[in-house]
Amino acid sequence: MKKIVVALCVAVLVTVGAGAQTKVSLKQGDNLPDRTSGMGLVFDTINSEFKAANPGVDIAVESYPDQPWQEKVKIYVAAKQLPDINKYWSFPGMFKPLIDAKLVQPLDKGAFDKLGYLPGALESNVYDGKLYGLPLTADCWVIYYNKKLFKEAGVTVPTTYEELLALVPKFKAKGIIPAVTDGKDAWPLVETFDNLAERINGNFGRVDAALKRTAKFTDPDFVQAATLLQKMATSGLFADDLMVSDYGASRNLFGQGKAAMYLMGTWEVGLATDANFSQDFRDNVDAFKFPVVKGGKGKVDDLVAWYGGNIFVNATGKNKDMGVKYLDFLAKRWPALAWEKQAGYPAQKVVARANDTTLAKTLLAIGSDAKATSGTPSLDRSDAQFKDSIQKAIGELVVSIITPEEFCKKVDAAAAKAAKK
Amino acid sequence: MAETKPLSGGFVSLERVPMKRLFNNRPVIAALVVPGLLIMVFAMIIPIGFSVYYSLTNWSGIGDFQWVGFANYVEILTADPTFWRSLANVGILILVTVFLQNTAAFALAALLARLTPRWSRFFRTIYFIPAVLSVVVITALWGNIMNPTFGILNKFLSLFTTDPVTTSWLGKPATALGSVVWIIVWQGFGWALLFFYSALMTLPVELEEAAKIDGAGRWMTYTRVILPYLFPVISAIIVIDVISSLKQMEIIFLSTGGGPGDLTQFTAVYLYQKAFVASQYGYGNGLSILFVVVAVGLTLLVQRIFRTEGELA
Repeated sequence: MKKIVVALCVAVLVTVGAGAQTKVSLKQGDNLPDRTSGMGLVFDTINSEFKAANPGVDIAVESYPDQPWQEKVKIYVAAKQLPDINKYWSFPGMFKPLIDAKLVQPLDKGAFDKLGYLPGALESNVYDGKLYGLPLTADCWVIYYNKKLFKEAGVTVPTTYEELLALVPKFKAKGIIPAVTDGKDAWPLVETFDNLAERINGNFGRVDAALKRTAKFTDPDFVQAATLLQKMATSGLFADDLMVSDYGASRNLFGQGKAAMYLMGTWEVGLATDANFSQDFRDNVDAFKFPVVKGGKGKVDDLVAWYGGNIFVNATGKNKDMGVKYLDFLAKRWPALAWEKQAGYPAQKVVARANDTTLAKTLLAIGSDAKATSGTPSLDRSDAQFKDSIQKAIGELVVSIITPEEFCKKVDAAAAKAAKK
Repeated sequence: MAETKPLSGGFVSLERVPMKRLFNNRPVIAALVVPGLLIMVFAMIIPIGFSVYYSLTNWSGIGDFQWVGFANYVEILTADPTFWRSLANVGILILVTVFLQNTAAFALAALLARLTPRWSRFFRTIYFIPAVLSVVVITALWGNIMNPTFGILNKFLSLFTTDPVTTSWLGKPATALGSVVWIIVWQGFGWALLFFYSALMTLPVELEEAAKIDGAGRWMTYTRVILPYLFPVISAIIVIDVISSLKQMEIIFLSTGGGPGDLTQFTAVYLYQKAFVASQYGYGNGLSILFVVVAVGLTLLVQRIFRTEGELA
């Protein structure tokens, strides 16, 4: 009897011991609450594959919309509860503070060099000579449009800013909202401002010059860009709820065929495969390049483009080795899966396929046509306070609480303040 | 008189000890007070202490920080129009809840008090529904009602106009503040109504009858007899209004986020945004400390006003 009891105890201990040895629970945080389609689905697929390849590993995912996730990361950092793997952004204003606080696990760049990353993609995540995160998407600012609604209103794709505004009365006459974007979070308005400024001055370097104080945001090109942006709102181009319409709301208005255009980045390539929208919409969604401004120096193939979304491992987490292993796995699976599901525009080379959606083909073409690219958008080139200031000021600009001159003064003051630090 | 001997540890035997003696015993007093005191120290004093500490730094919330003395406070008080705007908005909300919401709630409570119990209960339940709904639900509900594109409010108003109404209630500078204040008042109305109704129910019938015999009309009965009688309830309601207006955060955060510009900014939202969106954790703490000072000051002021008025009455 005694022997049996001892044997049982040993068996239990061995089982428990073995279980404890292999059981790793990875925490993952991201900004992809929709797990049924798009990038959320791709992540879930990769997670399942990773778990299958690494028995005993479990991945607990928590997802929030963009802005709440950015705030959550700050709160998690303060509370020392940052997840093991985090989908984040590579911008200096956001990523650098985490790196400086030694929260980001450095990666071996050599291991990723041969995985088909686009020129400059990995470099966007290199700080002080070390690779800290893996870029996920190549992001370009474009205008999505609904071909069917364009046909209904009897209009064609605009190639100039002036033509774009001329579409407004034609859509309104048909009861169609001309354009939507996420105005509540304001950053899409700043991307648009960047784009307009370049269309006027033909030089993406101007923003950096203004931030480094060798130029000023109150210079005429920026004032003109602000004037054109304000006119986009006052002319009725955007839906009336621009300032209260968040990411999901504006995307839905476009996907449900209520709005003809949608100003957003190429990460929305999944619009054409999103099962939440009608087949009719998916067949008709396409994109065009941001129009030029008459008399401006910028060309239509100068692209506001950057490597934004990335993924990093928490250097202070107890599972950082497994986290790095996950990133290795992800880097190999991500481009093919993301492109196969047409869920994102990967920061790695993809092979165009015959059955790619029209939208995906267009976006690939826009990317390969690019003659000059902007790099990090203006709002993310400085610190969080500058970002907050320009976002708030641009909100005031589009609802005409302030004039374009006042907007430029506010942004310039914020840039001066940030440069002092 | 029962003889009680102190026990060895200084405690008295609890058997047959008069309450008075028990409460004069220091260890007993300490044992009763300490748990509450500890909770207060850990839940209030220490966090506020930390907040004061961080408010004197330039901490971003991540990484190292420097000691900056009172720089945050100086900037808030001398160079931050948003702070003053947010306080002014809190003031507007206090005025609206105290004067408009309470007047409407009192009038309605007086009407309900005259209905048969069944109808009165029915209407009270209806009016109280907003108070039991989640703030998230309420904000989403009104966000949809006021949506310029598909909102029912514009559809309804369009029935009376030739051109369709497309007002963006929460997004337009002229209507944004009014719209969020409306949502807040709509949510708080049920509570005010409930308080007034309960107070009216405690009103002795004789009081009204006496007034009637003395020849007072309905208006005079309410203004000269009933309202003064309800004074303690009214003062309690106003103190609650002031505190809840100061604390207002969720509805603003979920509907306008303080925009457009700063037009609907409230202090509780602003300090959160500074700390966690703009990564100015130190500055945000400075705002919160000033806000505590304003809130405590205002609450004391209101209580003082009512104490003197109550004594006069």
